[in-house]
Amino acid sequence: MSLLLVDGLTISAGGAPLVSNVSFSIAPGGRMGLIGESGSGKSLTALAITGLLARTMNVGGSIMLGGQQVVGTDDSTLSRQRGVTSAVIFQEPMTALDPLMRLGRQVEEPLRRRYRRQGIDTQTAKRDVLELLERVALPHPERIARAYPHEVSGGQRQRVAIAMALACRPQLLIADEPTTALDVTTQAEVLRLLDELVRDLGMALLFISHDLAVVGGVVDEVTVLHQGVAVEQGPVSQILHHPTHAYTQTLVHAARAFDDALRGTR
Amino acid sequence: MTAPVRGLAEGLAARPSRSWTFWIGLILVGINVIAALLTLVWTPYDPSSTAGGRLEAPSWVHLAGTDRLGRDLFTQIMIGSRIALMVGAGAVATGAAIGVTLGVLAAFATKWLDDALAAALDILIAFPTLLLAMLVVAASDTATLWSAILALGLALSAIVARLTRILAKRVLRMDYITAARTAGTSWPAIVFIHVLPNIWPTLLVSFALQFGLAAIAEASLSYLGLGAPPPNASWGRLLQEAQSTVYTAPFGAIAPGLALLLLVIGINMTADGLRDVVDPTRRGRR
Repeated sequence: MSLLLVDGLTISAGGAPLVSNVSFSIAPGGRMGLIGESGSGKSLTALAITGLLARTMNVGGSIMLGGQQVVGTDDSTLSRQRGVTSAVIFQEPMTALDPLMRLGRQVEEPLRRRYRRQGIDTQTAKRDVLELLERVALPHPERIARAYPHEVSGGQRQRVAIAMALACRPQLLIADEPTTALDVTTQAEVLRLLDELVRDLGMALLFISHDLAVVGGVVDEVTVLHQGVAVEQGPVSQILHHPTHAYTQTLVHAARAFDDALRGTR
Repeated sequence: MTAPVRGLAEGLAARPSRSWTFWIGLILVGINVIAALLTLVWTPYDPSSTAGGRLEAPSWVHLAGTDRLGRDLFTQIMIGSRIALMVGAGAVATGAAIGVTLGVLAAFATKWLDDALAAALDILIAFPTLLLAMLVVAASDTATLWSAILALGLALSAIVARLTRILAKRVLRMDYITAARTAGTSWPAIVFIHVLPNIWPTLLVSFALQFGLAAIAEASLSYLGLGAPPPNASWGRLLQEAQSTVYTAPFGAIAPGLALLLLVIGINMTADGLRDVVDPTRRGRR
């Protein structure tokens, strides 16, 4: 049985369709990439999976997440599921962290919640936060835990955001453009870290990006979104080497041209 | 409220505010607080009995002179400081409790309830504070210290509620709220963990400014005879009593007026520096 089953998802606002009839599924431990340019509806799809779309949006179709229907379910029911079945890493690590809360405490909050839920003694939470920070390869965890978001670098902030998501131990990790706001070197490091953590902890991954090259190295399967429609779907190698849809072809060409350009400079 | 209080303590410990206005303000407020606390155990003279001749000019014996019954004015001003601080603190506490609650509820409310609350608050703010205070005093039969606190607290609560609503709405649109929601944080937890700590620095500055407003409004109420009744020596009442002799003995009006002026200036100067103290993102910035 699949962990996430999106079936005929349609999202519209004020009569204008933003996502039309999108379907895909992720098995436990599976990795799916959602690719498309900005405005293609990929972030909306991610929000719809967590049930956090604005109330003004009309949602149709079905989203089954961990055996729970998300579409049309009331918020308090979904709120108990959030963090358990899914957790999200956002694009902009500066705004996704509370500016007035120490980083350690921001990781501690979801950790304590999980401990209470699982009946684990919360006494060790403070120490476990440091372990989590170390786990996401942050240097000097004690110093980072005491710092505020504006006092650390962008890459470090994103690692803290990953640590927050890990603290939830979700079955599905949704990464919404997690490396877009980072410079190329940091981007590669964070990608490697994500890849490693998802494998080690046995989580499923929904990776959202506009960059085919970034997604290709991390996921097994790809869904290509274009103007709210899923234009192509399949294993990552097939999409990369034999794209059938015109839009996917332009994406692949762009990624290849970029690679060639890089190779030329070496 | 433990987190904000801890933040304030940390901020003061980090000693970020090198602005001299903040410290002068704090000294002015501090003098008032010390004088007010002192009156609980000691006053230079008995405030309700004759201590010298009538309408004596200021001297080393009577620092602010005496009133037309020969009572020491400096003693009464010290007690007036206690009244001003009590009413100011009480009114701000009342206004904050009602205002923050209403403001947060409005920020979370459905659209029509939010609109209704916002309209009601606008009407309440447009209502003159003194008129509102008169209504409360009239409704409670006699003017007491508590009716003054309640009246001013209600008037302030509308201002606090409107500010809280706007600030909370802005915070609720932030990515970190969505991030917290995706991690399973419930709405009540969001309010206490994220919303209140983030609007607290701005609210605190506003509370400080309103403290000064409340001190002035208390003097106005007492001047009109709607404030704390005798033997509470409010500055407003001292001003009113000195009015008839203002040409022969102007110090009777000048002294309490100066006391009020210094307290309010002190509060406003402190308010300006407070933001740097409570907001960690502004710490150490100059």
